[in-house]
Amino acid sequence: MTLYPVLYHSNMSEFNTPTQRIIAAATLISQGAEAKVYKAELHPPAISGSTSDEGYESEPVLIKHRFNKQYRHPTLDASLTKSRVAGEARAINKCLRAGVNVPGVRMVDLQEGVLGIQWIDGQSIRFLLGGGAEGEEEVEEVDDDGFEEDATESNEDSLKEYNITQDDTMQLIGKEIAKMHKADIIHGDLTTSNMMLRRPSASDQVPELVLIDFGLSYTSSLVEDKAVDLYVLERAFASTHPASESLFGTVMKAYEKEAGKEWKTIGRRLDDVRLRGRKRSMIG
Amino acid sequence: MPGKIRKRSPLKAPERPYIALGLEGSANKLGAGIIKHSPDGSTEVLSNVRHTYITPPGEGFLPRDTAQHHRAWALTVINDALKTAEISLHDIDCICFTKGPGMGAPLTSVALVARTLSLLYNKPLVGVNHCVGHIEMGRQITGAKNPVVLYVSGGNTQVIAYSQQCYRIFGETLDIAVGNCLDRFARVINLSNDPSPGYNIEQEAKKGKRLLTLPYATKGMDVSLSGILTSVEAYTQDKRFRPDGPRNEADTDIITPQDLCFSLQETVFAMLVEITERAMAHIGSKEVLIVGGVGCNERLQEMMGVMATERGGQVFATDERFCIDNGIMIAQAGLLSYRMGFETPLAKSQCTQRFRTDQVHVAWRA
Repeated sequence: MTLYPVLYHSNMSEFNTPTQRIIAAATLISQGAEAKVYKAELHPPAISGSTSDEGYESEPVLIKHRFNKQYRHPTLDASLTKSRVAGEARAINKCLRAGVNVPGVRMVDLQEGVLGIQWIDGQSIRFLLGGGAEGEEEVEEVDDDGFEEDATESNEDSLKEYNITQDDTMQLIGKEIAKMHKADIIHGDLTTSNMMLRRPSASDQVPELVLIDFGLSYTSSLVEDKAVDLYVLERAFASTHPASESLFGTVMKAYEKEAGKEWKTIGRRLDDVRLRGRKRSMIG
Repeated sequence: MPGKIRKRSPLKAPERPYIALGLEGSANKLGAGIIKHSPDGSTEVLSNVRHTYITPPGEGFLPRDTAQHHRAWALTVINDALKTAEISLHDIDCICFTKGPGMGAPLTSVALVARTLSLLYNKPLVGVNHCVGHIEMGRQITGAKNPVVLYVSGGNTQVIAYSQQCYRIFGETLDIAVGNCLDRFARVINLSNDPSPGYNIEQEAKKGKRLLTLPYATKGMDVSLSGILTSVEAYTQDKRFRPDGPRNEADTDIITPQDLCFSLQETVFAMLVEITERAMAHIGSKEVLIVGGVGCNERLQEMMGVMATERGGQVFATDERFCIDNGIMIAQAGLLSYRMGFETPLAKSQCTQRFRTDQVHVAWRA
């Protein structure tokens, strides 16, 4: 098992914990659903200074800071943040042991709600499939004679840059998810935003598919949970990439192949979940 | 890369004023509303009348009795609406009614009224999806352009976003609706159903102090609420539960119904705000619109407001006139589709209890 530094709060001045110093020196990349994401270095010059830690080369890390959610009751917020940071770190480590492509854990700070993971150089599947970058917004205009743009143009070119076809990408997705499920890890939030293609180091290499954001993951061997996990992804495909819903079929085929004999029960349960979930109509 | 894709709305400005009557009765509220779309693009609410079927504390509303209530009040409510609007049924362009989703019997009795009026006055019928009615009215009142919609009511809990002429459901409840959860708990602790159980929960929650641990069940963009209802109900069997307040001054380690209302709201609303935020992050929108009966809960609006501010966004909500089921929203959504050329022929004007938000072709948006 990999060891990573756990930072304690022995420091008297509470505004200057090591974690806070790292964040202060980091660049904010985005604000996700529940955390601010930074690109940082674990040993910025200010800290490493004279000491020469030879164990760590200065690779960039991705810092996920679950800041206080003001809308939530403080007690509820604190306990959720703690359990989610710890849970995410545990799930990632479990994935690593099972050989699933995930970014490795580099640091954990439960008090601050900070998780540092390996930096992945690449892009999200959502972007590569032309689901638009996050942050893109459609605006309607009533009185405008402007031209119409096609919003669902596929980013085939971006995929070419990774020298992989759309079909192969879908197969990689199915395979990684099956590997994860075999290790009894449920992702909990499978969407195309939560998968990345790692930029290949050489032009003839096949890119790796990396699963990210284990913030809602948990351990379970239940067929039900795995089926729900797949169902969440199916819906994400349908809502984010409405023009390309058939892609999900390829994902499932690859999943089936990797999951082996377990597929029979999972697949059957997935049909059940579909019946009571998406198709279900509610009253009111 | 944040960018804006501009599209033209397919809805043309009307060449003359259009007026629609909307009839709603999918649950225990009977509503009639009249709306007017003017050639200058403005929209005017001419009237919005509602009558609610209120049951005694501890009881819910049954379909048969609710339908009976609607039949008894339909003419009074419609006449009121016409009188307030100062128009006659002859001036109206179309009659809009709730086609679904909802309780079968109440839906059918209101649809029957709509059909009769349509034949008597020779006016076209427009069947409307209840959820789309909520969304369109919310957009109209608040002026939100392309918001993520949190639709929370007694029967529905959905996070919705518009995409390619369809209101797509990003997240929803996996079991019971949030309004259902709150209402049923109100019945457990015997709160009044007047004006609504949810309103009384909100008032009780303001007096609660202690946050009790309840399950927190978000799954991706979905939530599960039935387990929370069970857990909060279990607290009423707890030895520390005091339905009538502390027994004496030394009695401090207690759980009051107010604490339970407070804990229930805090937990459930935190879950709803979280899935809404997740959807916002996912599609990159900065606007949230809250619609549906639970949407007039001020604590929910407040929490959503804090979340939106943290993201540099904005929250849009309406008050009880437009949040709680009403006729005007049916008129608004119906008139929009009528202006796009949509009509429901008499032979196809039957109601459906199952009618999902994403089954509607939203022709009037780009």
